[in-house]
Amino acid sequence: MLLELENITIPTLDQKCVIVNKASFGIKEGSIHALMGPNGSGKSTLAYAIMGLPNYRPSEGKIYFDGNDITDLTITERARLGMTLAWQEPARIEGLTVPKYICLGIKEKKNLKEKVMEALEIVNLEPDRYFNRTIDDTLSGGERKRVELAAVIAMRPKLIILDEPDSGLDMIVIEDFLNIFNKIRNLDMTILLITHREDIGMVADYGTLLWRGDVLMTAEFPKVMVHYCAKAGLKDFCRRTLFQQEGKCFGKEYIEGLLKEVDWND
Amino acid sequence: MTNSEYPEDILQSLEDYNIDINDFLPGHGKGAKLLLDFNKIKGIEQIEGVILKGKEIENGIVADVIIKEGTKIEEPIHLCFGVNKESGVQEIFPRIIAENNTEVKVQAHCSFPNANGLIHKMFGHFYIGDNCNFTYSETHYHGENSGALVAPVGYMYIGKNSIFENNFNLTKGTPGKVKILIDIFAMENSIIRSNIKAFGKCKGDSIRIRDSVFLEGHHARSVIKMKAAAKDGGEVLMYGMTEGNAPYCNGHVECSEIVLGKGSICRARPFIRALDATSSVSHEASLGRFPQKWLDELMAKGLSEPEATDILIEAMLQEE
Repeated sequence: MLLELENITIPTLDQKCVIVNKASFGIKEGSIHALMGPNGSGKSTLAYAIMGLPNYRPSEGKIYFDGNDITDLTITERARLGMTLAWQEPARIEGLTVPKYICLGIKEKKNLKEKVMEALEIVNLEPDRYFNRTIDDTLSGGERKRVELAAVIAMRPKLIILDEPDSGLDMIVIEDFLNIFNKIRNLDMTILLITHREDIGMVADYGTLLWRGDVLMTAEFPKVMVHYCAKAGLKDFCRRTLFQQEGKCFGKEYIEGLLKEVDWND
Repeated sequence: MTNSEYPEDILQSLEDYNIDINDFLPGHGKGAKLLLDFNKIKGIEQIEGVILKGKEIENGIVADVIIKEGTKIEEPIHLCFGVNKESGVQEIFPRIIAENNTEVKVQAHCSFPNANGLIHKMFGHFYIGDNCNFTYSETHYHGENSGALVAPVGYMYIGKNSIFENNFNLTKGTPGKVKILIDIFAMENSIIRSNIKAFGKCKGDSIRIRDSVFLEGHHARSVIKMKAAAKDGGEVLMYGMTEGNAPYCNGHVECSEIVLGKGSICRARPFIRALDATSSVSHEASLGRFPQKWLDELMAKGLSEPEATDILIEAMLQEE
């Protein structure tokens, strides 16, 4: 496993409530792993704890990355070991140019221009149009998210945590983002994809279902999705989404079998 | 004139502000130039439509820059007040006149790379005529020892329908003791943009800047933007002032400052006054540190907190 969580509990800052309760699961190297759950289930909190943000320190449990215990390491130390996080709403910093921002995480400072161009091309941004731009309000939401993805891709980390990369994007753009995730996987990077959208998760190999702070299951993604939809009462949506993938990812029998695995309460 | 005839560390400090030194010396490039080496005129070059005259006095020079009526030039006029010595007194008395209907950029450089007890004073008078588009940019580099005392004063008259942009940049090296006073008088329908940036980096750095705009003509407009950072004991006071003294004039003052490290002080004092009932003047000021989320985002890319902070300061001070 590239990343392993062992009984991670994350309390609120005042320590009065528990946001994530004894979470344990692992992420295989080279996979796309979706962390699913409805709003408020603790997904982003868990992502921030994995990245080491000071206000999201676990009160108990261990986090292992590439075989090392990283529970007590800072954000910077974790990033230097090869993990990073792309925020749901990345900051807009006037005065910081797109190429300079993309270069921030590149360790080997040779051929920076080529590396920036390559990263921009992976996220389908024309390099010539973005070399003189800054990461300020003049970028649209979709452009800013693509620049963020370009910056984390340029780092070439082992693990990228994507916190709700689909938020605020229209369906056409989302389709493009799913293709970008596959490109990232082909570059030997592992993705932890935080999302509450079942259709976004379809790009994932594995999934973990988080429900009110508890990890309910970790399995192949379609199984996790079916359980998630059953908990949320979304049978028709689940059928439709799975059958859209018929022939692409799995056959009709497999889908029917999955749908029979859970109690739909109908 | 070749590069070897002018102090290398002064030229180097200009390059740090992205100034192309190949076009900078007399005999190179298309722009007019006036270069000082301490209190000696080292080079002077006029072009058509621009009169440049200088006279050496006991502790400095008196200089005239006159842009003749109707002159429109793309290449900036370079004025370089360089001092390579550690100490001494340099006093500059420039008089800059842009006659009516002119379009010009003046780029002034105050470079004191080895300052350690050096005093630089400037008493500048600007007269910008009607229907002009005039940009005055001044970059400062005072070395790395906080060893300069720099006290420029500028009085600027901006004529009817003219656009005047003032850019002051003191973000490289350690400033030392800096006291700057700028008074801009804006006549009818003129537009003033004044951008001030300063960075106090250590205990020996104390920067006080007063940038004032007096909107004296009807429908005159102005924006003062002051940006500063102080760290490791540095001190910055930004005093942005606008008076609306004429009908339908409109002014705005904006100060943003970042303070970092023990003993550092940032102060912002926007001062606005409206003496005409139809005028409108506003201000906003913010002091403090960068949002933690910004730092977290940069640290997630492998930067330490001090590295992330430096990147954010640089971005803030580069922002147009």
